[in-house]
Amino acid sequence: MAGLIVRRFFQLILLLIGISFLVFTSMYIAPGDPAAIIAGPTATKSDIDAIREDLGLNDPFLVQYVRYISGVLHGDLGYSYQTKQPVWEAIMTRFPNTLNLAIASIMVAVIIGVVAGIISAIRQNSWLDVSSTVFALAGISIPNFWLGTVLILIFAVNLQILPVGGLDHPFYTVEGMKQLILPAITLGTGSAAMIARMSRSSMLEVIRADFIRTARAKGLKERTVIWVHALRNAMIPVITVIGLNFGFLLGGTIITEQVFAINGVGRLMVQAIAARDFPMVQGSVLLVATLFVLVNLIVDIIYVFIDPRISYD
Amino acid sequence: MKKKHFFSMLVFLFMISAVLAGCGGKSASNSGGSSSQGKGNAAQELTYATTSDVVGLSPILTNDSVSAAVINQIYETLFVRDPKTMEIVPHLAESYETPDDKTWVIKLKKGIKFHDGTDFNAEAVKYTFDKLRDPKTAAPRASLLEPVESVEVKDDYTVVIKTKYPYGPMLAALCHTNAAIVSPTADQKQDLMKQPVGTGPFKFVEWVPGDHITLEKNEQYWQGAPKLNKVTIKVVPEVTTAISMLQTGDVQFIDNVPAEQLSRLQSMKNVDLIKKEGTPVYYLGFNMKKAPMNELAFRQAVSYAINKEEYVKQLKGLGIQSNSVIGPKVFGYNEASENVAYSYDPEKAKQLIKENGYKGVKVKMLVANTANYMKMAEVVQAQLKEAGINAEIESMEWGTFLDAVKQGKYDLTFLGWANSTADGSELLYPNFHSDNVGTSNRIFYSNPAFDKLVEESRTNIDPEVRKQKLKEANEFLLKDAAVVVMNHGVVTAAVDKSVKGLEIDPTGQWSLYHVYRE
Repeated sequence: MAGLIVRRFFQLILLLIGISFLVFTSMYIAPGDPAAIIAGPTATKSDIDAIREDLGLNDPFLVQYVRYISGVLHGDLGYSYQTKQPVWEAIMTRFPNTLNLAIASIMVAVIIGVVAGIISAIRQNSWLDVSSTVFALAGISIPNFWLGTVLILIFAVNLQILPVGGLDHPFYTVEGMKQLILPAITLGTGSAAMIARMSRSSMLEVIRADFIRTARAKGLKERTVIWVHALRNAMIPVITVIGLNFGFLLGGTIITEQVFAINGVGRLMVQAIAARDFPMVQGSVLLVATLFVLVNLIVDIIYVFIDPRISYD
Repeated sequence: MKKKHFFSMLVFLFMISAVLAGCGGKSASNSGGSSSQGKGNAAQELTYATTSDVVGLSPILTNDSVSAAVINQIYETLFVRDPKTMEIVPHLAESYETPDDKTWVIKLKKGIKFHDGTDFNAEAVKYTFDKLRDPKTAAPRASLLEPVESVEVKDDYTVVIKTKYPYGPMLAALCHTNAAIVSPTADQKQDLMKQPVGTGPFKFVEWVPGDHITLEKNEQYWQGAPKLNKVTIKVVPEVTTAISMLQTGDVQFIDNVPAEQLSRLQSMKNVDLIKKEGTPVYYLGFNMKKAPMNELAFRQAVSYAINKEEYVKQLKGLGIQSNSVIGPKVFGYNEASENVAYSYDPEKAKQLIKENGYKGVKVKMLVANTANYMKMAEVVQAQLKEAGINAEIESMEWGTFLDAVKQGKYDLTFLGWANSTADGSELLYPNFHSDNVGTSNRIFYSNPAFDKLVEESRTNIDPEVRKQKLKEANEFLLKDAAVVVMNHGVVTAAVDKSVKGLEIDPTGQWSLYHVYRE
């Protein structure tokens, strides 16, 4: 296990250097001049030149990259071109919001997805199974911006039982939870659908296995057979899907953050890209990549607990 | 059985929400009125929703409209334009005189203090302007005071500004947000981008980047404390969400209302819509470096082919039709110029196209992918097709668009200018003078005769002479069909009915000083 963690750690560093180079290069060659955007439409050539010099944008590509990466290796993600705020600080003020939203959404997704998946597996081809399939299809197909806007119109504007948007109360307060409900449902539905499909197919495979027949033959209660013996064995692929989804959610959930006015990392990244705020884009991408790798590592570790046959030694 | 029951509930809930979603649109518009009544009428607090965050809170280091909106509540300028008459009047200044045409002696009001308790005086004015002009500052709008040669302190409350040449729009420049006066003591002690200190009616409390800014009333404000105790500027990126918040009473004020949201806002009982003729201008520009755009006959044909009235109608009242480049709310406008432009005349267009062999010519129309420019492009594309010109639309995101335009990778494009100084010289010079080709002159227009007229309008301090020169320059552009004016802007705001006393400036800026809630 320790070997796995150490190996992954070194892989992570290499991965991040690779990613930073890719992002840096793509931002460098992408059209759009950060200085011109900062200066605004009314700026003259001298205004823009002064800003470009100030940001060090006149230096050759490699000089800029080496300067950046050596900063990163010393723990300095640099400063935003636009707001002059330290990148680390800007990300960290927003990350808790993204994290709260991701956790709430994955909870919604897991509860709905796993339950729906199992029920449709044990009641295969019943009307419950069919409606669960329809739900899954709808969950995957409905775009978040539409679902979010509709939920706002119903629950915030019409019924007035939940706030329209924002996330400015701590998640453990009643206000905070109320603010999380609609975005979590909006965001969780897609993942719930995927988890439901995966749970269903995995469960179908397992309940036909010999050991389940043995368990039933031994006279165990059906509830014990399904929720203890079958579920645990069906969970491996489901956990992979949950892990992947959670990784994506942590990467900032641009559209949901936009619709619900949540000040998260996804929105920060979009604004930074539009403003060609290179250090901010780099910083957020590195964070997202790190989180993604970490989540996958955790998933790999969970496998061992769920299925003792798996070992990394 | 229990499980089955649970799942049936889930399915039931989902169906209910689907049904509710179906009727959501209709019922949403009926419920507006009730909400705001429940939420503290008495509290003198106001929340304004903006679709993007401020870049920062220093007037010297920012040049975007959202930052300007907040900066205008915290800082003040020496002069302001009266939003009703558009005349320039002293504000932090008491009076001014011009002993010669390159010297501006400005007397300042006494007894005004910055929020940090230090005095507003001639030193502060000198400090601010010198910092703005200093190349080391790399101020985005340093060019505003480019004509200034020196700023001197004559006594505590008198500054003398000397210019390199007679500079006509001097006072208009001093009205601009970027020329707002900052506290020198505070600027040396802290970062004004994050902790602003000015003389304005509201004091800075906090800024949570990406989320909100809080301001509080300045009890010591020199014109008397404002009525609002607290102002929150909240970032709500999605305009439909902001409107929902306006409907539920979570916010009380939004501006820059998009045309497609007008009907929803009008149906909301708790909301007042404010509309006012504004200074922005939107135009179709020709790439003057390329043929056939550099041929007068082609530009005339395009001008004749475009039915601007038809386009303005589609803006549902959020646009003013005028042929003049200098709009009705901008210094230098002259009604007589309206008839100089080539108005819609499809027959003349077809004739010119036939005579000059432009029939079936293909042009690339480069468009920034915001709703208003896309609409312009689609309308113009259809109208040009009718006249016999095939325009192909290529749309791109703003940053990429600016780059492509700069490199001249287009035939026709659509541009806009906010005119935040509301001075005609500051529209014609950046947009069409050959000095600015490749930066703010994005159509590569270069004409010595035109340049001369614009220079004369800038380098004379007599308003009457300036008006005459601007009229001539404006008509020169129109006769040369250098651009086709699509529309002049209408500035808008939507406020909760409890909000009173809000006045929007034709430049789109506003002050919350006189605003209160009842």
